[in-house]
Amino acid sequence: MGQNGAGKTTTIKLLSGLSTPAKGQIFVEGMDLSSESGKIKQILGLVPQDSGFYDERTALSHMVYYGRLKCLSKKESLEQSRVLLDQVGLGNEMFKKVGYFSHGMKTRLGIAQALLNDPKVLILDEPTNGLDPVGIRQIRQILRECNNEGITIFLSSHNLLEIQEICTHVGILNKGKLIAESTIEKIRHLESNGVITIGVYNLSYEMISLIENMEFVVKTELKAEHTLEIFVNSRTDVKPEINRLIVESGGHVFKLIENSLSLEDAFFDATGIKL
Amino acid sequence: MNFSEIQIIEEDEIFKGSKSKYVWLFGGIFVFLCFLAMHYSTYISFLFPISEGIPYSLISYIVVLSIGPFIILITSFDIVSSEIETGSVRYIISKVHRSSFILGKFFFLFLVFISASTGIALISLIYQYSEGNAFQLTNIVLFWIFSSLYLGCFISIFLFISTLSVNNKISFTMSIIFLGILIFFFLQGHDNYLRYLTPFYYGAKNIDLITGFPVGAGYLKVFESLFSMFLYMLVFLSMSLLAIKRRDL
Repeated sequence: MGQNGAGKTTTIKLLSGLSTPAKGQIFVEGMDLSSESGKIKQILGLVPQDSGFYDERTALSHMVYYGRLKCLSKKESLEQSRVLLDQVGLGNEMFKKVGYFSHGMKTRLGIAQALLNDPKVLILDEPTNGLDPVGIRQIRQILRECNNEGITIFLSSHNLLEIQEICTHVGILNKGKLIAESTIEKIRHLESNGVITIGVYNLSYEMISLIENMEFVVKTELKAEHTLEIFVNSRTDVKPEINRLIVESGGHVFKLIENSLSLEDAFFDATGIKL
Repeated sequence: MNFSEIQIIEEDEIFKGSKSKYVWLFGGIFVFLCFLAMHYSTYISFLFPISEGIPYSLISYIVVLSIGPFIILITSFDIVSSEIETGSVRYIISKVHRSSFILGKFFFLFLVFISASTGIALISLIYQYSEGNAFQLTNIVLFWIFSSLYLGCFISIFLFISTLSVNNKISFTMSIIFLGILIFFFLQGHDNYLRYLTPFYYGAKNIDLITGFPVGAGYLKVFESLFSMFLYMLVFLSMSLLAIKRRDL
C-alpha cells in the first residue's frame, strides 16, 4: 500500500516483467526474474490496472488467446476458459464482445485470464479501483476463493480499508521505498499498539509532560482543550497507571477510552505524513 | 525467444488481420495497382527497350518499389504502438518474451506482403502466358524474392518506429517523416553515400537483374543484393527488439 506515486504500479511492473530494473534482483518462487523470466511468466497471473482488452473480441476469444500464450493447447485453453469465466461470473457473457463490458466485468475478465494455467502467484494492480460496492464485493469474493485454492495473491491498493479486509501481509511504500513490511497485526502495532483517549477537566502542560515521560508512552496528541490522545506501546493494561498519575497530579478524569490502531493510523505513523 | 510463442502471436495477428478491413483494402489496392500497370503495359512499353515482349515482372517490380513503402506504412505504423496505447501489450508481455512479441508481429506483416507479392507474381505469369510471351519463370521468382525482401526492409523500419511510440498519431507522424527522409536520401543521387541507408537503393539496384536472369558474375550481384536487404532488415529488427526491451510498458 502507498500513496499515489509511491511506486506500487512500478513494483508490479517489475515483478511481471513489464519494466526492467535499473539495479537489484527480483526473485519469484526462488527464481531469478532476469535469468528465468520464461518460467516465472508461466506461474504468474497479472491483472493490470487498466483493462487493455481488444474491444472487438469476445471474452472467450481473449481467454483462448491468453491461454495459448501460457502454453496451453487450443482444446485445454477452451476448456479452462469456460470454467474460469463461469467462476468469475461471466459464463453467460463469454460470447459478448468486450467493448460492451462494464468496468467491473472487464476486471473480472482480467482475473479470469490471469488464472489460466493455474498460476501460483496472482498479481493485481489496484483491482477495485473505480468499481461500485457490488463490484468490489464480487472481486473480494473471487480473490478469497483463489486464496483458498492456494494461490498467493499480491495486490496493490491505496484503499486501506480494502487491504485491512482481505490481506494477511502488508508492505508500506513511500516515495519508492519499502518502509515497513509485516503482517497486518504487526503493522498496526508498528510504533504503538494502542491509543488511549483521556478527558481531563484541568489538563495542564505539566501533566502532559509527566505522561510523556512514562515508559510505555510513544507520543501524545492534544485533541481539544480537555482531551489528550496517548499512543502507548505495551502488552499490559496501562490505563490504571495513567489514571493514577493524573489523579496524583491533581487532575479530574472524566473519560478514559482505549482504542486499537487502525491500518490507516499505522500507515500515517509509518510514512510520517501529516495532514 | 520461443518459436511457439512467435507462432501464437503471428496466428493471432492473422486472425485479427483477416477481420481488418484496412488490411484487405490496402492489400487489395496494392495488388490492383500492379494489375492495372500490367494491363495497360502496352501504353508504357516504350519505357522498357526490351526485345523479348513486355516485361510484366519488371513493371510489377517498379510498382512494388514505388507504392509498396506507402502501403506498408499505412498497414503497419500502429502494429506495436496500438498495443501500447490500449494497454493490451501488458497482458501479452506478462506471458511471453518481448522478442517473441516483436517477431510474431513482424512475421505476420511479412506473410501478408509475401502473399501480396505472390499474388502479383501470379498475375504477371498469367499475363505473360496470355500475351504469348516467352515463359519467364526465373524472372518471376527473382521478382518474388526481391520484392519480398524489399518490402521486409520497410516492415522492419515501420515496426521499429512503432515500438518507439506510445501513441498511434505520433507513430504515424514519425513514420511519414522517416519515409520522407529515406526518399530524400535516395534522391541525392548515385554519388552520395546516404543512398546506402535506404532500401530504395537496394531495391532499385535489382531492376537490372529482373529483366534477365544473371549469368556468371551476375550471380554475385544477386547474392550481394539479397544479403544487403537481409542485413538491412536484421538491423531494424534488432533495433526494434532493443527498443521494446528497454521500454517501460
